[in-house]
Amino acid sequence: MAGMAQDPLQQTYDAVVVGSGATGGWAAKQLAEAGLKVALLEAGRAVSPKEFTEHMPAYKLKYRDHSPEVVRTRPVQKQCYACMEYNYEWFVNDLENPYSTPPGRPFTWQRLRILGGRSLVWGRQSYRMSDNDFKAASRDGYGDDWPISYADLAPYYDIVERYVGISGATEGNEMLPDGQFLPPMKMSCGEILLRERVKAKFGHTVTIGRTAILTQNHNGRLQCHYCGPCERGCSTFSYFSSPFTTVKDALASGNCTLITNAVVSHVEMDTEPNKARGVTYVDRLTRQVKEVRGKAVILCAQALESTRILLNSSTREYPNGLANSSGALGHYLMDHVVGAGASGRMPDFKTLPNANEPARPNGIYIPRFRNTPSNAKHSRFIRGYGYQGGADADFNFKAEGYGASMKKAVKDGVYGISLGAFGESLARWDNYIEIDRDLKDAWGIPALRISMTHGDNEAALMEDAGASAAEMLEAAGAQDIQVRASVEMPGMAIHELGTARMGNDPKQSVLNAFNQAHDVKNLFVMDGASFVSSACQNPTLSMMALTVRACAHLIDRFHKNEI
Amino acid sequence: MKRREMIRGSVLAGAFAAALRPALANAQSGAQSAAQTSELTPAQKGVDASKDLSAPGWKPVFLDEHQNETLIVLSDLIIPSTDTPGAKEALVNRYIDLVLAAETPETQRAFLNSLGYLDGESMRRFKAAFRYLSREEQDRLLHALAYPRVGGGWAGDTGAVADPGHGYFEALKGRIMSAYYSSQIGEKELGWDGAFAHGPYQGCEHPEGDHK
Repeated sequence: MAGMAQDPLQQTYDAVVVGSGATGGWAAKQLAEAGLKVALLEAGRAVSPKEFTEHMPAYKLKYRDHSPEVVRTRPVQKQCYACMEYNYEWFVNDLENPYSTPPGRPFTWQRLRILGGRSLVWGRQSYRMSDNDFKAASRDGYGDDWPISYADLAPYYDIVERYVGISGATEGNEMLPDGQFLPPMKMSCGEILLRERVKAKFGHTVTIGRTAILTQNHNGRLQCHYCGPCERGCSTFSYFSSPFTTVKDALASGNCTLITNAVVSHVEMDTEPNKARGVTYVDRLTRQVKEVRGKAVILCAQALESTRILLNSSTREYPNGLANSSGALGHYLMDHVVGAGASGRMPDFKTLPNANEPARPNGIYIPRFRNTPSNAKHSRFIRGYGYQGGADADFNFKAEGYGASMKKAVKDGVYGISLGAFGESLARWDNYIEIDRDLKDAWGIPALRISMTHGDNEAALMEDAGASAAEMLEAAGAQDIQVRASVEMPGMAIHELGTARMGNDPKQSVLNAFNQAHDVKNLFVMDGASFVSSACQNPTLSMMALTVRACAHLIDRFHKNEI
Repeated sequence: MKRREMIRGSVLAGAFAAALRPALANAQSGAQSAAQTSELTPAQKGVDASKDLSAPGWKPVFLDEHQNETLIVLSDLIIPSTDTPGAKEALVNRYIDLVLAAETPETQRAFLNSLGYLDGESMRRFKAAFRYLSREEQDRLLHALAYPRVGGGWAGDTGAVADPGHGYFEALKGRIMSAYYSSQIGEKELGWDGAFAHGPYQGCEHPEGDHK
């Protein structure tokens, strides 16, 4: 490209890592600590603990979280509860970062461009997948198995959990392998009662959420002080986010160069065939176009962004996107289906909520109980769903009427209980992303057209999940039970997966079992894009474990001079 | 944790994507201007706006004087001063005025319609605008809207039809509630002591099978 500036250090790195979130942070840490010279590229700016606002009360905000600026600049992002007047600058500006969707196929795409990416605001729920997930296709005949099994990934789950600090309880559940846990957070009275009754009546497990929040001091970070709103930052770094853990370690190794404001447009190919040379990026602020060269290129940009980079990297040899001889690139997009659950009141419990009670940033979890090895196959759907939820006393802001009695009723409170399902999203060819030739972002980079809809199986999952949730709440003695059994638009779970899936067959998949492109051996995609199936567990823990496993492979090949 | 309950899901992303296209020309210059700003929200910069509304000489920017006075009277009835301060002391009218000024025309209109309905009912039943009624008359009107009964049955009864006025009442009440309980006075009303950390969470300490 004419007039392109070389990177300031005129250096060829051993590895160029694109993205500094949950997976990019791990890639940078593992590679830099192994002695590789790493360039870590982040599309946004750096982040400082000085901008954390978790302890600022709402009344100090001009609009108390009804800011017109958020509505104007983040109409899509604000569909996520975590995008608020406190922190909206962490989320992408929708006016600068457009995407399109076909008529009748809406998709909401929530993302951050800042050091740490979505790890700054993530839900922190951390669950292992099992061979019921990795080998699901062999068990029910739908789709494809992963090219790895649980035994391949288990040691890397261990590494990630020990470093991150996951609090949780061991349960011995066949669908949800136990891990290396810090002490679990406590459950409320209503949650314990639900656990007892659901086990007795249905045999299902109710456990405390397994969460990347410290319940004791760990690896130089302090235990949680239960202030509540993690998504606004944490001054004690008690929840896991990459800037203050993995990225910090990578930089401390002396082997990692962080380049912020680097909006990567595409992968550059070498004159040698099937070899990546580095990446080209647009400086977010100066709009200068620059190239960073690396012996290996690792995309950790978020599932859809990593695939967008590959689709925008077409060459004469790969006219339909780089490393896409299979044609599978962009296809098999997944996002957990949400929209079903139940809520109610537990009238037997003392209410009187207290604003000075510790705010537990975690809830309960019910692992999948449909289509398990020990249960009969369900007649109406394959796979299953898990629930997140909780029960506790809260202020009764829905108190009836007006005046002094209503004001008192608010404080008297209500003991509420709720469950919400996350269902497996089946991998389907016709859920896909492609480049919209008529749409570019503010840096001139072609934008995505996202085409996805949930199908009949997802709808059947949600219908069953609503009814099952109501039955469980009823068993716990809840009253005024409200059931929800709808299917929300894709993207709402913010668990985008697939579009560059792994597999053993290069004709059917983009990546091999080590997240390495079949077609371009020094190119890796180490984020959610690599998922073969979605399971129903929150995916970030598995994404991090896959990254650490892929890095071990890369380091081995690097030392053998194969990369 | 309650992510899914909290996600605001009523709006379709596809519609937004279509709406964003014309904005792209501006976005090209938007990237330039980003360089000149700090890219921090006012909250992240540490701006404390809690005193803005109590500034001397405050004037409404969206509501007219009659609407503003009506809102003050209504808010005082909905959340009165008791042994703790109420909505009037918390200046909920000023906060609502600020937010309304920044809202879409549709939302602004919906609010004014609700307030207008209150005055309309007041004129119809008592021949005067709501804020000029006696306390007893205001109470009679609000009670009818808050606990609607139609055809002789309470709303909870089978076959009862909700009074359309109930919807207007709930819309106004909702605004006043959220304004009050998000104010400093409202936080104190809920018992908040001003400290941010009260951990760790203790959870259930009852013996198994007995949680009452």
